[in-house]
Amino acid sequence: MEQHNRFWRIALLGLPLGLFGLFVVWPLFSSFYYSFTDWNGFDTNYSFVGFDNFAKIATDRLFLQAAINTTIWMAAAIILPTTLGLMLALLLDSRVAGARVFKSIFYLPICLSAVIVGQIWTWIYQPDWGLLNTIISQITGEKFKYAWLAKPDTALWSVIVAWSWQQTGLAMVIYLAGLTAIPGDLLEVCEIEGASPWQRFRRVVLPLLAPSTVVVVALSVINSLKGFDILYIMTGGGPFNSSDTLAMHMYNESFKKYLMGYGSAISVVLFLIALAIIGLYFRQLRKVDRIYG
Amino acid sequence: MAEPLPVTRFNPWPTTIFTILSALAVLFLLPTLGVLLSSIKTTREISMGELWSLPASLFLGNFAEVLGNPAVHRYFLNTLLVTLPATAVSITLGALAGYVFAKLPFRGSNALFLGIVAGMFFPPQVILVPLFRLFNGLGLIDTLWPVIIVHSALGLPICVLMMRNFFATVPNALREAAIMEGANEWQVLTRVVLPLSLPALAVLATLQFTWIWNDFLWPLIFTQSDNKRTIMIGIVNLKGQYSVAWGVQGALSLVASLPTLLVFLFFQRFFIKGMTMGAVKG
Repeated sequence: MEQHNRFWRIALLGLPLGLFGLFVVWPLFSSFYYSFTDWNGFDTNYSFVGFDNFAKIATDRLFLQAAINTTIWMAAAIILPTTLGLMLALLLDSRVAGARVFKSIFYLPICLSAVIVGQIWTWIYQPDWGLLNTIISQITGEKFKYAWLAKPDTALWSVIVAWSWQQTGLAMVIYLAGLTAIPGDLLEVCEIEGASPWQRFRRVVLPLLAPSTVVVVALSVINSLKGFDILYIMTGGGPFNSSDTLAMHMYNESFKKYLMGYGSAISVVLFLIALAIIGLYFRQLRKVDRIYG
Repeated sequence: MAEPLPVTRFNPWPTTIFTILSALAVLFLLPTLGVLLSSIKTTREISMGELWSLPASLFLGNFAEVLGNPAVHRYFLNTLLVTLPATAVSITLGALAGYVFAKLPFRGSNALFLGIVAGMFFPPQVILVPLFRLFNGLGLIDTLWPVIIVHSALGLPICVLMMRNFFATVPNALREAAIMEGANEWQVLTRVVLPLSLPALAVLATLQFTWIWNDFLWPLIFTQSDNKRTIMIGIVNLKGQYSVAWGVQGALSLVASLPTLLVFLFFQRFFIKGMTMGAVKG
């Protein structure tokens, strides 16, 4: 029987593991290898440069800028969609009429490509006839022409708003799933005992939603670390690198400047950050499991 | 038994909630509505600042332009040629691996399973350079093959995760009974377990189709010539050609999103389930 099982394990796992190993695991490790070289993407010859690429990271002004932007991007990506998603979930959970339609509307942006989302929002920020400037002009009564995406002060935040618009629906459905697990009688008891709506939310609902919050926050962090497409479309990392992220910086160094060795070094740093976050996530998940499982 | 009291959770004023939600819904719909409006307006109307108002008349010239452009046909075909095989392969292989993890576990199989699932969380930039070198060496750059292969491989974490979790809910007794009757594992998988797993397959099909269709990064890296580009890259390429023809750009965006919008409309239930399942169990 054991013999028989072994045969089937190998037969069934062979292809998936082979594909995953060859095109995901192996490249992951060779990234480390290339990060110690000066490969330019085309020559067959390259040489080992030791820790030069990592030393360069330490002094690269653009890397520092990208790291700061990634941090801002991540913080905003956690706070905005999570808060808004929780709010929407609470409102929808109150058995409001048309909840299904509302849910679909808030969720719709998730199925759009980052390219499309980028294009839509580029139009909203368009200086001459964009929706945002049109509205501001209407309110103030004078022609308002501000190029939101072309100014270093607003470029990153403008993209963050577009990103939040797309991600809120995801946070909402995860919170909605979490809310259905909270027994209605529990809240009724609290109400009878005289707890105010705010107290019920703060002391009962929010703590019971902790597992959902862990998931939402982790997803936001992971998705924002991947943040590339929408920035590529809306700002290309500009103006003056004011909206560059690490993922964007890695792409530019590797595929625009053809410094693939240096690009690999940046990707190793990205990998380590992701690893740290995933480690934290699993630990937190276990903790939540222990408390509420 | 008394009638259950209507549960009021947070706000005793349903009308207020409804109003707030409606306002937010309008705000949320505005961006999408803008594209819709632009696609049925002439360039002149838009550049005169009329994009966000209701159109005086329905103008279909933008759609005619998009649908008549042979480059758009090519982009669409390429995207289908990538999305369909990659979706099918990742789900099939995910089912094979998921079956082993759920029904034939072995020492270390849980660690292996978690290792694969962890692949879901890493930024794709981490494997960009080595994959570019690999496919360059194989002479496959500027073909659709690397895009298909990489999407198949990167789809495995979510597919393995979901198939394993679904298979785990199929009673072991079913498998054992089938084995007693003389079936082998392949027959158990294809005749007993898979037919019971159609919901999971539907969830994965919608998720994978949407993600691969919408992807931008991999075709950007692996393809170069215009007739190998997928639709999302194509939209960016055509921006030059239609630089101030905003209406054509809007129509193009709509046409490019149509497949995923249709999937979303018809399989929304699966889609949401997949997003939450993948997220919560991950």
